Amino acid sequence: MPEKPIPENDPVVSKSLAPHYVISMVILMATFFWAMWDEDFGQRPWKAFQHEWKDRYSTFLKNARSQSGDAQKEVEASPDYQKLKQDYDSASQNAAPRIQELREKLRDLGARILAVQDGTNHFTDRRAYVTAATYAIETETSSSSKQRMQRNLEEYKAKPSTVEMPDGKLQTFKNFGELEEAYNELKNERTQFSAELGELIKPVNEKKELMDSYLTDHMVNLTPSQLTNLQNGVEVWTPKIRQINVNEHNADIVREDSSQIVDRCESCHMGIREPVKLTAAAMSLPGKKPDEYARAFTSHPEPDLLKIHDPDKFGCTPCHQGNGRATTSAEKAHGNYEHWLWPIFTPQNYEAGCQVCHSADMVVVTNDVGWVVSEGKDLFRQRGCVGCHRFEGYDKEPEDLLSVAQQIKQLDQEKKDNFKQAGDLMKQADKAESNEEANRLNDRAVALKVTNSKLDLRIVQLDRSTKSLLEDMKKVAPNLKDIRLKLNKNWIPVWLKKPSDFRATTKMPNFRLNDDQIKAISAFIWQSALKDSLPKHKPGNATHGKELFESRGCLACHSIGEGDQLQGGTFAANLSRVGEKANYDYLVRWVHNARERTRPYCPLEKKDIGPEDYKKKGLPYVFDLEHSRCPNDGHELQVQNMTVMPSLRLSPQDAEDVASYLITLKKQEPPSYADASFMDDPNLKDEGKKWVRHFGCAGCHEISGLEDEGRIGTELTIEGSKPIERLDFALFTEIAQRGGIEPITDPDDLVRLPEGPAKQPWYDQKGFFEHKLAEPNIWDKGKDKPETEKLRMPNLHLTKEQIRALTTFLLGSQENPLPPNYQYRPLDYRRDIQEGWWVVKKYNCMGCHQLIPGQKTSLMAMARYKDAQEQLPPKLLTEGARVDPEWLQRFLKNPSLSTTDTNRNGVRSYLQVRMPTFSFSENELGKLVRFFQALSRQPFPYIPEEVPVLTAKETEMARSLFSSTAAPCLKCHATGDPAHDRFATAPNFLQARGRLKPDWMERWMLDPQAIAPGTSMPSGLFKRDNGHWVFSGPTPASFQGYDKDHTKLLVDYILQLTPEEQRRVGAAMGRSSAASGSSSGAKSSGNGGRGAPE
Amino acid sequence: MKTKTSMAVWSLAALLGFVLLAGCGKKEEEQPAGAPTAAPAAAATPIDPATAASISGTVKLDGEAPKAAKIDMSQDPACKGTNTAENVVASGGHLANVFVYVKEGLGNRTFDVPKEPITLDQSGCKYHPHVMGVVANQTIKIVNSDPTTHNIHPTPKDNREWNESQPPQAAALEKTFAREEIMLPVKCNQHPWMRMFVNVTKSPFFAVTGADGKFEIKGLPPGDYTIAFVQEKLGEQDVKVTLAAKDSKTVDATFKP
Repeated sequence: MPEKPIPENDPVVSKSLAPHYVISMVILMATFFWAMWDEDFGQRPWKAFQHEWKDRYSTFLKNARSQSGDAQKEVEASPDYQKLKQDYDSASQNAAPRIQELREKLRDLGARILAVQDGTNHFTDRRAYVTAATYAIETETSSSSKQRMQRNLEEYKAKPSTVEMPDGKLQTFKNFGELEEAYNELKNERTQFSAELGELIKPVNEKKELMDSYLTDHMVNLTPSQLTNLQNGVEVWTPKIRQINVNEHNADIVREDSSQIVDRCESCHMGIREPVKLTAAAMSLPGKKPDEYARAFTSHPEPDLLKIHDPDKFGCTPCHQGNGRATTSAEKAHGNYEHWLWPIFTPQNYEAGCQVCHSADMVVVTNDVGWVVSEGKDLFRQRGCVGCHRFEGYDKEPEDLLSVAQQIKQLDQEKKDNFKQAGDLMKQADKAESNEEANRLNDRAVALKVTNSKLDLRIVQLDRSTKSLLEDMKKVAPNLKDIRLKLNKNWIPVWLKKPSDFRATTKMPNFRLNDDQIKAISAFIWQSALKDSLPKHKPGNATHGKELFESRGCLACHSIGEGDQLQGGTFAANLSRVGEKANYDYLVRWVHNARERTRPYCPLEKKDIGPEDYKKKGLPYVFDLEHSRCPNDGHELQVQNMTVMPSLRLSPQDAEDVASYLITLKKQEPPSYADASFMDDPNLKDEGKKWVRHFGCAGCHEISGLEDEGRIGTELTIEGSKPIERLDFALFTEIAQRGGIEPITDPDDLVRLPEGPAKQPWYDQKGFFEHKLAEPNIWDKGKDKPETEKLRMPNLHLTKEQIRALTTFLLGSQENPLPPNYQYRPLDYRRDIQEGWWVVKKYNCMGCHQLIPGQKTSLMAMARYKDAQEQLPPKLLTEGARVDPEWLQRFLKNPSLSTTDTNRNGVRSYLQVRMPTFSFSENELGKLVRFFQALSRQPFPYIPEEVPVLTAKETEMARSLFSSTAAPCLKCHATGDPAHDRFATAPNFLQARGRLKPDWMERWMLDPQAIAPGTSMPSGLFKRDNGHWVFSGPTPASFQGYDKDHTKLLVDYILQLTPEEQRRVGAAMGRSSAASGSSSGAKSSGNGGRGAPE
Repeated sequence: MKTKTSMAVWSLAALLGFVLLAGCGKKEEEQPAGAPTAAPAAAATPIDPATAASISGTVKLDGEAPKAAKIDMSQDPACKGTNTAENVVASGGHLANVFVYVKEGLGNRTFDVPKEPITLDQSGCKYHPHVMGVVANQTIKIVNSDPTTHNIHPTPKDNREWNESQPPQAAALEKTFAREEIMLPVKCNQHPWMRMFVNVTKSPFFAVTGADGKFEIKGLPPGDYTIAFVQEKLGEQDVKVTLAAKDSKTVDATFKP
């Protein structure tokens, strides 16, 4: 082929690709560097955190060390420390010479033992030979060689040994026996000296320990040496991922997003678990405001929580959420990006993390005061959310009833099977070939019969718990079957329009009903209500009623007054305008016993049983907890109103007085309400029923014909686990994602938003719950829907704080991501505590009683008790340790402790405020008694200890203490003498026996302030003397030589106190009843023991 | 040829740059340690006695003083003598037992805690004095001169509550309150009429009006002050006053029953 000529413009020759290459090269290199940088830093922002941490923390530690050094010097300079140091110095000096001597001796002995023991032909060597030879003889079978070997051994043993002792002298031992003896002697000597040395050193060491522990006990922070250790640790730190693997060995974790929880949070949050308290300010650069590093390096604010939930076991995300594995950016790690379903809880909702595991705990921690999540739990229950939304654990009596019924059925079947089998066995036995076989079969049949008896008894138990459950079933709202008896008819439509207009704090939410709906609904409930009549009552004394209302404790649950004037509890209704709506005769019945029903309801027949049903069977029309069987079918009836309101055991007269007072509470006169006779229109009834059903009214109210209605809302047990896509933001999805525009425009609803109108994007669970709770129909906005398809959730007119609490509660209501053995499902005493809180909260025990130190009761806040703390209901901080559970059960059942004289307090007769009768079911009684025992960690059942009988002399001594001027017990404690008891502020001693636990009594006498802070009973009555508790005041001569605890003596005396003895002592104390009797006119009788000068 | 060289040059440069970069990356860690700033122990701010000013005045009751209620002490025979309620004590329009103190204006000044204790006596089943001022952490010595047992039970808002028994002739109790609190009530549970008030302040600039309604506060450094008059029943009144060096001003207050 001929060569072609080179073309003129040959690109190979004329064009250079160098610039392209250069550019590519530059890009390539830049990418390379970028990749390198990104690899080292970009993808590892935590490295920067760790570098920063090293600097700041070591600076902090240096600083802390110098301060701590000063503090240490200060502690060391204190006289107490100096004394300890002196003790130590003198002890160690005194012991020093002998210690020195002993050490010397031991060293010498050690050398001698070594000399005897080591070396050829010395003790160890020879003993080994002897042992080996002995073994050979023992295992030898031929007797002749055995004898020969024996002889050899004897010969060997007889040989002498020469040992060079440490001092250089040679010592000869005649034979092995002598050598062994010398060796053992030396060893014994050494043991003896060592023991002596130990004895000598021990007290010195103890003193040193005392000194050192004084130092650590009195240092607020760590000691300088501890800080130095920390600092050394920081200095050698090289950046690395810090990771916690939850459940390393058991990877079957429920949550679908991860098979295992791996938390790397501490790669940035380095200070979380440091043993010193790190604040953002302390971790900031000098003179600068806390930056993101400073905020990340702070210690965990609740180290006590970490103690219970060791991060090494639980990790971080089970409580905080977020993406614990992510390390590439703070946003990703916190889960604040669209591909992570459960972002980290915000500080406002931190406690949502508790709910994840503790949804069954109504009180999360033992010092639960002001916890947001607990408020959420309470609100969910009190506001009636459970009426529409199922939530596991809440309002579970109906479910329990079902399961009990199921169990009964099962047991019945089992019984039948057993019966049949027993019959078969007996038949076989009759035909058995041998007596043995027949007996065996008969025995089995007998066993089955016994089993059936057990099953029978079990069924009886279950029947009783059915009864209990029927009693325990409560409704959040009143029984609407009674409205014809109870209400001002014309008031009903006004109320339905917007309940919060009539009563701002009501639980009844606003349903946004239109006028037609209101008409129909009121007509339906009016026409379906019971038409019985009530006994007429004469008007009572309203002034006395007011006094009773304010003093008997009604305000622990109910409130009165509006706005700034509001006082009392928030648990039950505000009664400021009750006079506008209520009928007097009904109020009297309600105040007297709110549980009294108009007609009993039969759940089986699904109807209200009336006198006609009883008459048919020739039975008297009596129904109460003792007469709770249906006359028609013998089944358990609902004989109580399903309210938690207890009976205050008022006399009928007092009930009339209170009702007369309540009926005066009004802003406008009842007749001024517009006529609502349309409610009698039968045509409206069906329409009304439709709407009542539509809005789920029967979730909270008892309504005729709708007793078995189900809940209309979504179950919320694991609502917090719902992925965001399944929460319907309707037309606001995009707005929520973008942020910036707040869809709620109603000013009333706008102020309910915990974080104010939305500025940031709020497309997350928190945003959804908060908006939904602030304005429940917000997702209907802009939509064109027929009335029946609109969102039904009513507006609960919640405050900001309440919405925050409920949101926290809902966010934490999740499927538990932790394996079952990590979850809190106690089976021991803690379960009793768990169950007890449900009952305690259900009946608002904490409206009157303090159960947690620092917890405020509704009554405490009232002006009435400001100067009369002793008139408050008792604090129950150690109730389980205080009272005999048997007694407690009796007391809870009937707090008057009397079957005849019930209009009083059984224990604290001097209190105006009354412990009501709650008519607890057996089930709840048991739970409460067990709860109090468990709360105080008391054994259950309780077996009382024997109280020793005092001798005459001891009784005399105890009496002198009991009536001493220095401890005048009967001055404050009630005695049963009315003249004296006007001034009493403490219970009668005669009740101690059978009620109080002796150990508790002793502790109480020693330091009552430590058991019931603020109690009238003073501390300092006894002092510690010679290892015993002795009376602080003067004691008579008879106490000379008495070396037992005076407290114990007094306790035994009180437990043996008889009414006669008490009367004698009281009289001897020189209180003249005449004197107090004459002055009774000066004080108002209602003012009793308070007596604060006015 | 040319491209080859430049490539080599570039890569060399790049390598160099990389080494440099890597080198730099390690260096930035060392930073000077922040200077330790230890807070100095609080010592009393000195007041120049030469410029010290004083205020004095009279507290009046405008209107009829309520008749002091008689107290029934029959429940304890050991309580002898007459006893009347002390919540409003006034004679001739002069109001006693008003606590007067410098509420604002002392800024961050600190004061020494007086070494000598203040005595609270219980005699005739009454507290003496009925209203008392004390500097925070100053010792209160509580004495029982009665032949009966008392218990001393302060019910503070911001301090710790306690309740101790004190039999007749018992040793004095020595107590302190650490935090400021005005009109901290103290009571005896055994004699419910017995009540008194302790006022705990940061500064020693306070006084309690006597039976003549008069008070005096001395040794104040010049400055602008809010003087508060507090009466257990009638509430609080604040008066602003400016004191120049060596001033002695009169500040009066009038309460309405």
